[in-house]
Amino acid sequence: MRNKKRERTRRLLSAASLSLAMLCVLFGSSWDRNLASGSVQQTAQPIQPPSVSSADKRTIVAFENRVKAYMKLRNASKAKLPKLSKDSTPEQIESYRKSFEEKLRAARAGVHSGDVFRAGVAAYIRKTLRTEFQGKDRAELRDIVFEAETQGVPLRVNYPYPEKNELSEMPATLLIKLPQLPKEVRYRFVGRNMLLVDRDNNLIIDYMVDALP
Amino acid sequence: MNRILALVLVVASFIFASLGNSTYAQTVAKGSKVAASTSSPLKLALPLADGSVRFAVIGDTGSGSDKQRQVADTMVRYRSAFPFDFVLMMGDNLYGGESAKDFQTKFSNVYKQLLDNNVKFYATLGNHDLPIQVNYQYFNMNGKEYYRFNKGNIAFYSLNSNYMDKKQVQWLQNELAKDTSDWKIAFFHHPPYSSAAAHGSDKQLREVLEPIFIKYRMNVVLTGHDHVYERIKPQKGIYYFVSGAGGKLRSGDVKESSPLTEKSFDRDMHFMLWEAAGKNLYFQVISRTGETVDSGVIVNPKSK
Repeated sequence: MRNKKRERTRRLLSAASLSLAMLCVLFGSSWDRNLASGSVQQTAQPIQPPSVSSADKRTIVAFENRVKAYMKLRNASKAKLPKLSKDSTPEQIESYRKSFEEKLRAARAGVHSGDVFRAGVAAYIRKTLRTEFQGKDRAELRDIVFEAETQGVPLRVNYPYPEKNELSEMPATLLIKLPQLPKEVRYRFVGRNMLLVDRDNNLIIDYMVDALP
Repeated sequence: MNRILALVLVVASFIFASLGNSTYAQTVAKGSKVAASTSSPLKLALPLADGSVRFAVIGDTGSGSDKQRQVADTMVRYRSAFPFDFVLMMGDNLYGGESAKDFQTKFSNVYKQLLDNNVKFYATLGNHDLPIQVNYQYFNMNGKEYYRFNKGNIAFYSLNSNYMDKKQVQWLQNELAKDTSDWKIAFFHHPPYSSAAAHGSDKQLREVLEPIFIKYRMNVVLTGHDHVYERIKPQKGIYYFVSGAGGKLRSGDVKESSPLTEKSFDRDMHFMLWEAAGKNLYFQVISRTGETVDSGVIVNPKSK
């Protein structure tokens, strides 16, 4: 009787240790797999926006409010135009772009450089750019920004960005770190200067000189 | 120890992927066949399978030059043997101005025969394109700078690489997260990998997009910007192509010693033909004059 009990205990123990061993193998291999994919994904961390101080936050909010005020004005001008369909002819596109540009220029008559890029936000953007453009890995950023041929683009508020000129690519890593804009408004570099441009009518909303270090 | 083992596994899988791709490409190249019809002496390296998805790829086209027209003419000739239904455009659709006349002389007049035969064009924006092009009737962008559409078992993602902001990145992640297609193909203008001297790899864009492509298993990435053809060695399981010489050429621009290059062609302009048939995605690259300069097949990893 005692022998039977001992035998049952021995069997239970060996079954338990076998299960434990199997679990170890399973967990071990899946851990290996995770590690393998993890080693690929180490380079796969999404870029995070920078943490900002409360003073910078206030500056950014004020900037966003000025952009919102611009949006209100441009949407009021847009509302006066016939709607542009998603399958427009070239003539309709050209006419819409030019009418939009004229209406908005008239609505914004009298605006000056620095109305949107006020000193506070300009300083914040310059600081962000300075940080981004430092370091040996950032030569690539410069290549992208200075690659575009932008000679002849006027630094004039309320004037159109010339359609014949190339548009500089905005480096993706940088866009994540700059204050966010509505989809109709774009940052754009012209040499070392930074512009705010309207996507749909190509008007220069504002600019800041020597934005890049 | 486990970390070392994992590293070895990852490296081995990359080598395997690279070797696999070369082998497949060679297999198809050797198996190239001449289309049976005597009236169409065009060399096809594509299977023309029943029910397959067939399309062409052109990039950096909008010059309005004679050579752009010659590429278009060769596309028309090849379409008689390989009836593709749609064309992906890699951006720089209109160089040097966007008047109503520019749309005609640099696009609709050039591809008239294809448009007349109901071939659809799906565009993406390059650094020479105004965003308002998204409303052009023949670009099928539906008013959007970045969009997705499906054909058969393939999901196509057209991205705006000029302005890869947070909203676009979020949209891409959301779309990919719910995508159950067999094949996922992204196309946009700036190449994350390129061996061309003029522009080369866009590492900033790569830093943002590659983690997403890896996570959601993008199969193929098609780009332009550099005015050459280049097939990049598979990078982390993803097949990258540069096809930026549909209307402009930078002759001799691919760096010969580049470790990225699997195959390149920079002596003339070109276009690409693609065919998705079951678990295989076939491609063929054809020069302006009709010469086949590369071909191959990518096997869907889901079927392995």
